[in-house]
Formats: sequence, C-alpha cells, structure tokens
Amino acid sequence: MQYIEAHQVFIEIIMRLWLVWLCIFVIMVSSYIVRKRLGLYGKIYNSFTGVIGLCIVLFWFLCAIFADQIAPYDPLQQFYQLKRSKVGAFDVETGVTFLLGGDNLGRDLFSRMIHGSQTVLTIAPAATLIAFLVGVTLGLPAGYYGKRIDAILSFIANLILAFPVILLFYLLVTPGIRETFVPVGMAGLFFLFPIIFLFLVLCSRYRERPVLLSMQLSATLLVGVWLYASLVFNADPFHLLSLEPNELNIFAAVIFASSPGIFRIVRGLAMDIKTRDYITAAQTRGEGVWYIMLWEMLPNIRGPLVVDMCLRIGYTTILLGTLGFFGLGLSPESSDWGSMINQTRKYIRIVPTMVLPATLALSSLILGFNLLADVLREQSLKD
Amino acid sequence: MTEPLLEIENLYISFDTQKQEIPAVIDFSCKIMPGEVLGLVGESGCGKSTVALAIMQYLGKNGYIKSGTIKFKGKNLNTLSLHELRKIRGSEIAMIYQEPMASLNPTMRVGEQLTEVLRLHEVGITKQDAYLRVLDMLVSVKLPDPKRIMHTYPHQLSGGQQQRIGIAMALLGNPDLLIMDEPTTSLDVTVEAGVIQLVKELSKKFGNSILFISHNLGLVLEICQKISVMYSSRVIEQGSVRQIFNSMRHPYTRGLFNSLPLPSFNKNKRQLVSIPGQLPLPNERPQGCAFSNRCTYYVQGTCDKEMAMIDLGEGHMTHCTRVKEIDWSEETSLNKKDEGVEIGNVILNLSNLKKYYHVVNSDILGSKKTKTIKANEDISFDVREAETVAIVGESGCGKSTLAKMLLGLEQPTHGSIHFNGQEIANIPVSLRDTETIKAIQMIFQNPFDTLNPSHTVGSQIIRTLEKFNVGNTHKDRRAHMFELLDLVKLPSDFENRMPRQLSGGQKQRIGIARAFAAQPKILVADEPVSALDVSVQAAITELLINIQNTYRTTMIFISHDLSIVKYLSDKIVVMYLGYVVEQGTAEQVFSPPYHPYTEALLSAVPIADTSVKKRHIVLENDIPSAIDPPSGCPFQTRCHRKKHVLNNLCEKEVPPIRSLNGKHNIRCHLADEILESMEPVIGFNTK
Repeated sequence: MQYIEAHQVFIEIIMRLWLVWLCIFVIMVSSYIVRKRLGLYGKIYNSFTGVIGLCIVLFWFLCAIFADQIAPYDPLQQFYQLKRSKVGAFDVETGVTFLLGGDNLGRDLFSRMIHGSQTVLTIAPAATLIAFLVGVTLGLPAGYYGKRIDAILSFIANLILAFPVILLFYLLVTPGIRETFVPVGMAGLFFLFPIIFLFLVLCSRYRERPVLLSMQLSATLLVGVWLYASLVFNADPFHLLSLEPNELNIFAAVIFASSPGIFRIVRGLAMDIKTRDYITAAQTRGEGVWYIMLWEMLPNIRGPLVVDMCLRIGYTTILLGTLGFFGLGLSPESSDWGSMINQTRKYIRIVPTMVLPATLALSSLILGFNLLADVLREQSLKD
Repeated sequence: MTEPLLEIENLYISFDTQKQEIPAVIDFSCKIMPGEVLGLVGESGCGKSTVALAIMQYLGKNGYIKSGTIKFKGKNLNTLSLHELRKIRGSEIAMIYQEPMASLNPTMRVGEQLTEVLRLHEVGITKQDAYLRVLDMLVSVKLPDPKRIMHTYPHQLSGGQQQRIGIAMALLGNPDLLIMDEPTTSLDVTVEAGVIQLVKELSKKFGNSILFISHNLGLVLEICQKISVMYSSRVIEQGSVRQIFNSMRHPYTRGLFNSLPLPSFNKNKRQLVSIPGQLPLPNERPQGCAFSNRCTYYVQGTCDKEMAMIDLGEGHMTHCTRVKEIDWSEETSLNKKDEGVEIGNVILNLSNLKKYYHVVNSDILGSKKTKTIKANEDISFDVREAETVAIVGESGCGKSTLAKMLLGLEQPTHGSIHFNGQEIANIPVSLRDTETIKAIQMIFQNPFDTLNPSHTVGSQIIRTLEKFNVGNTHKDRRAHMFELLDLVKLPSDFENRMPRQLSGGQKQRIGIARAFAAQPKILVADEPVSALDVSVQAAITELLINIQNTYRTTMIFISHDLSIVKYLSDKIVVMYLGYVVEQGTAEQVFSPPYHPYTEALLSAVPIADTSVKKRHIVLENDIPSAIDPPSGCPFQTRCHRKKHVLNNLCEKEVPPIRSLNGKHNIRCHLADEILESMEPVIGFNTK
C-alpha cells in the first residue's frame, strides 16, 4: 500500500467531479441572467450567502444524479488490500486508488459517500414534499373553519408531536411491527394525499370548465394510480419504479413524524390570512371553500412554507442520518451517510479520517439547506 | 422681531437604497416662531414625516441630511453630539406619533412611564413630586379619574385616552416645540375633535410652538396659523392659513381644494375634480416643477427648468413660475348639468334586524359565563333602486356587521331582509343562488387587502365573471374584462399586472371593476375611499357616481366621514352602538332638529373652508364598548343634552323611535321644543 500526496488527492477529487462543476456553473449563470423573472428563487442571487447555500445543495443533488459517473468503484465492492487505509491510499499491484481511504471491509469511502447522497436526496425531499401535502390538506381546513374540525385535527397533531420521535421509529421498524399491515397501511394513507390534493386543486378551480377539468382529472388519476401502485404495493406494471419495503417504512415514518409540525404552521398561517378582505371578497362571490383555501389562501402563504420546507429537508436529512446510525430501516450494507458513520466510528482510533467523509457530507448538506432557508426568509420578507 | 424658535434652511434629505440614492426632502425651508403652529400638509409619500424625523435627528440607518441647516434656538441640530441631542429630545422638542398604542410601552403602567419622563429630565426630583406633577398633567389633558389611570396599562385604555397620555408625556418635559405627526388619524371623528380641542387649549396654556403634520386640510385650518404644502418632497406653497385657503397660488393646492367635498357641494350640482395622474415615484420625478406632469398649466420650456420659490409678499411663497400668468380667479370646479338619476321602487327592505354575538368565558372550574355583544339592535329601513343610502357611524357602531348580513356572510339573530320581495336574511352566501349573489356585491375599505396579492388583475376579474356565468368561453370573458377595465378608466395592459404594482387608487378601481362584473343591483361600499389620499378619493367617488347614474345601481355607502356622505347620499342612516339613532333624507339629517349624536358628529368633522362657521360641540369620554353597553339610551354616557331630559329617563329606558316629519326618524327622549329650537351646526359666514 502506498499513498499519493494530499494535493494530488485534492486535484483528483476536483477532476472526478467535473460534471458537477459544469452543471453548477451552467445553472448558476443561466439563472443569474434571468433572475428577475424567477420570483423567489431568483432573489436568492441577491445574497452571497444564498448563492453559497444554493451551491452546496446543488452540488449534492448533482452528485446524486451523476453518482455512477463520479464514483470510481461500486460502493459495495471490497478491496481487502486497502481495508482501513488512509486518505490517498493506492494498491501498487492493481492500481486501485482510494481517494478518501477505505473502510473496515475495504470499500472505497469516496464512492460510498457519493452513492450515499442518492439515498438521502431521494428520501428527504420526497418525504418532506408528501408531508407538506398532508400538512397543507389538513391544516388549511383546520385554520379556515376552526371550531370542531380544528379541535380534532389539532388534538391528533399534538398527540403525535408529544411522542418521542426516535421511539416512534424504533417501533415502526421493529420486525414485529414491520410484518404487520401497519407500515404499508400508513404509507398507503399518506401517499393518497398527493392525489387528493391535486383533485381538490383542479376541481375547485375548473368546475366551470368541465371539458378541461375532466381531461386534467383523468391525467392526474392515471399518473397517480401508477405511482401509487408502484410505490406502495411495489406493483408497477411497467417495472420502472419500485420502492424497497424498508424504504417505504422510512418514508411512512418520516412523513408521520413531520406532517404534524407542518399542519400546525399551515393552520396558523391560514388563521391569520382568513380575515383578509380578499377572502371576504371571494366568499361574497360565492366561491367554494376549497377554492378559497387552495387558490386564494395557499399562494399567499407560500413564502413561509418554502422556507420551512428548506429547513425541514435539513431536519429530515438529520433524521435519516440518525436512523442509519442506529441501523434502523435501511439494509446493513447501505451506503447512506448515517450508516457509514456507524460503520466507521469504531475504527476512529486506527484511522481518524475514516468517519470524516460521511460526517462532512451530512453536515455540509444540512448547512446548505439552512443557509438557503435563511436567505429565502430574508428575501421573502423584503417584497 | 424675535428670533425664530426653529429655522430650517435649504434642507435636503436622502435615503440610500441598494440601487440608488433617493431624495426624500428637497430644498425645505421654514421658520417657526415661539408660540406659533405651523401645519405641514401633503399626501402620503410627500416627505412630511421625514422632515419631522430630521428635526429629531432620527433618520435611521440609511437616511441622512445631505445639506442645509436645522437651527433650534440658534443651535444647529445637525452638528450636535448624541449627548447634546439627548438633552434636547423630550425636554425641548417632543414628538407625538400617529399610532398611540405603538408609542406607549405595553408592559409598564401608564403612571410609571409618565414619571419616568420627569425623572429623566429633571435631576433630583423626588418620587412624590413627580407623581403630583404627572397627576396635574393628566388633569390638564382632561382624562377622567387620573389616579386610576396612573395604575392602568396602555391596553386598558381606549385610543383617545392613549393619545391623551401621549400628549401628556410629550408635555411633561415642558418642550418649546411639539411635533405632532398625524396625531388623530387613527381616532374616530368625535374623539379626534376632543383631542384637537385639547391641543388648542394646551398650546395656549403652555405657550409652546407646534409643528402639525397632517393630510387633512380641515384639521389644519382649525389648528394652524401658517401652512406649508408639500408635494413630491418639496414645499410647493407656504403662507398663512388665510392665504393658502382663500388665495392659493399653486395649481396643486388648488387641485387639492377642488377634490374636497365641501358642505356646499352635492353630487348632482357640482363635481369633485380630481388631480389627473398620480404622484411620481422619487426616481421618476419630472425635471423642474415636480407637479408639471399633472398640471393643466404646463408650458414646455418654462415649467421644466429648475426654479426657485417666488415670494408673493407677506410670507406667501409659491413654487410655480407661472404664478403671474395663471388666472387664479377662474372657476375651475365643474358644475354638473344633469340632474342625476330618478329614484325607483323599494328594492331592499330591512326590518327589525338584530345581530347578537355570544362570547363564552369559561373558567378553570367549568362554570360558563355567556356575554352577549349586541352588534345590531332593531334596524329597519328601506332602500330604493338607484338610491344612495349612507350608513354613518364611528367604529364599533355595527355598520360593518350590517354589511355582512346583507351579503349573507352573517345571519341575523332576529329580523328579516327582503330583496326584491324575497327573504334572504337567513340564507348564507354559500347557499344563495348565483342571481342573488350577483345582485349584491361589495367594495372593501382597505385597497391593499381587497385584491389577492398572488393573482394578476386580469385573472381575478375573469374568475369573477366565470363564477357569475358571464360569457360562454374564456375569450368572451376576457373581452368583457377589458370592458370592465375601461369602465373604471384603467388601460387594458393592466391585465397582467400584479396587485403590488398598483397604487392604492388603482387597486380600489380594480375592486370596483370586480364588484361590478355582473352589474349588481346593490353595491355595498364599506368605506371605499377612507384609506385613500384626497385627490384619489375624489376620482373614486366620481367613478362610483358615474357608474350609478349609468346602470341605476343602488349604493349602500358605509362611512364615518360626513362630508363625503353629504356629498353623495340621498338618504342617511346614523348608527351608534348598534342602534339607528337617526334616519332620513340627507337634507333632513343635516339640518335641525338633530339627534344629539348627529349634532356632535357634524360639529366634529373638520371642514376645509374658511367661510364655514361651526358650533363647537365636544363630547366627553370615549365610545363605550359593545360588550358592556350603557343602560338606557346608548348615547347617554356622552350626550351633551342629557340634562334637558327629566327624571334621568335616558339612563333608564331606550328611547323609542319618533317620526318627526315624514320619513325623518329619531331615537331620542328630548322634548319637541328642544328639538325644534336647535340651530344648524354648520353655517356660512356671509362676506
């Protein structure tokens, strides 16, 4: 085993990521040019911090997309010669180079880190998005109607929030419960919300234009049913999409834990905004309640919601890390960052750098989301 | 001649923004002599508050004085250190702000806040002395029961009382100069009249000078000796009250006066003339005269050059270079030819309408106390086709609740509303058929709130059309939307504008266009112009009248502003604490006999006309809360004529409705002789 110089490691990593740099550059420059027409997203470019945050987030998203091109090796492939190696180790005979060293089983930490971003960046945004749709669909009526609906929904939300999250996950992923219908049932319920949401959005808006409405509804229904079947029941007729049962579990758990918080935010915002004159104006022209909630109120609370979504994706990332660290849900050899930290932490005395790739990746992504949320909050207030 | 107390010379103030430097005040000069009251008048955004802040040296982070001097008692305030400024602020110059609640500390008792002022400014004053001085001051600002008030928190006081505390606080430091920035704008008219009366008395008593900032010309006339009129960061005319009101020499000042509804006006006889165009943005000001792009006397080559103030003698200055060429005696207000519309049959009938709200207070032991708020009590009146019925009253009188019941947003506790013979009171808006919904539409008060900020103007109007089944295709509706934009005199490229890109007046026009989408029979207008600047008010009022004349729309006009009500209504309903205290035609209500409340209300409205003579009636106390209404007549706690009724009847019984002559109804215990001997509140000086 031999080592290449630190600066060579650095240069090599930069070179490996050329596709990512190129894409970031193209996205940044093109967005910057037309930033005035991009609304809130365009305003990020007014702030240096915002650009930094966006760069970090974009970096990891692009890493996830191009993981196969970037990573030199398969994340599960083992090179026993290079096990527990330090940064920049290479095997003279085979020429295999581990840029960030190898783990206890001789897997390349760099490749694992890049591939790990895939798990995090598919589950975190998608689960947060669905949690938002759940929170919005329930929070708007709770805030708008108040009274009994609000009392019941808020009680349930408080009940879930009062329960320790980690304990909840433990319960959800223990084999005893995993084998029952509970996780699939929960996921089935939560994945229903996007379809319900879209239906309500379209029905309330286009009731006066039946032809357009029926076209939109059938399209929604087709796509919705296909996604629903393939994700929840793993029964995709085209075999394009699938979700592992344990991934589905994590989805359900994350949505379950974060939707009550979103529900409460939406409810509060709705209560504030329902007293505005334009809501009264909509009522006086006889608009339906769902039109008022989804078309009159929702667009006006999007600012705080976008900010919250950014922060919440960060939290979910932490949550996924924690789950991985405790070995909950995901498969033991999974290359997600939480699991990686857990797998490497025991060897920290032998090779101190071994835990760094996963921990730095995790914290930089969360930092990126937090910076972005900060700037979005600032900019949305400026208008 | 004595030295002026405050002398500002050639003051330029700018604000730095991310993009550029924005001049907020340009070349401002004024002098305030000891004991003098100077009025600073202008529409919103003209820079009048910036001047006040500059005097206090409070311009904030991005504002700065570019050049010019502010001399106070001979000292240049711009060069003083922070320490020296602190000595002056509060003890020599004090400021009273628009929002009384925001200028008092909500976590401190009023007494503590007031004694704090003395202990800060007068070293070595004992607690006891300070307490007594504050008590004295509270008596001077005419607060009832000052000892109790010392122990209250600001939120326990009404708006009028809070503002009196603010005035007391400012006066405690014994300042030589008092700056009042729209001190009464957030108060009700009758409360405002009391505060203004107080300020007048106090300035006489303590002899301090006042810089009075206001957008209300009527108020300025009542309180000031000199006036500076500001427009787009500049003083465009200054002089004595008499000079400005009777011989104004700037087209903008004249435009302002033409757009005011004065008591001698009426919608069918004389038209309000608004100033065309709108206030230019600070970075889009025209060259030379700032008013040139809206001025009818604009001459190229003269008005677009830099100009100086022209002295007309006796302290009267104008910023119009063409002052000598314009014929100032020319009649600029328009007389109307048409007689208005003929009033039709009864279209809406309200009888014995009551609305109670129940508030349940349950405590920890589970015992429930239900309190009833009587928002509307026994309201009956008729509305005829093409008629304008004004509902007048101050905050909390139940006028907005009445509007909500008409629209079906609330259902009455008792009583009925008949629209074209059909009972609609108990049908909520969600169950009303489209025809009824179309027929009764509403215009809202706050222009910044009536339009949904997330949708374009065009899509909001088209949505309304869609909802009302106007037109068959999207194309039809779009064409109709352009017609509506044209009706409210807005260009068709407004279709794709977002509400935030519009000015207040333009938003209100869109609000009218939207309400008018399906030609409603009845338009309920809830204070449609009260949040707008005077010149814009005139334009919106005229627009409403034009629409009414064209389409024979019935208008229910809710307002607290009697001058605009007098101008445009045929019939007036005066409300107080949920009761209709007086109703009749405009003429009947505005001439004696009055209900004592109407009498006070009429006297309280500031009128910007030097030829008007008013009887001054200042009401004591503030409006009682609707949760805890007084016994008997709702107005008895403030009534100035209560002493004329025997046996304390006012406190015991709610007066019955009395019909005076024909349709003129009044709810009062006063004897006929007293009612008949009433004199008009508003009279004219015969010159």
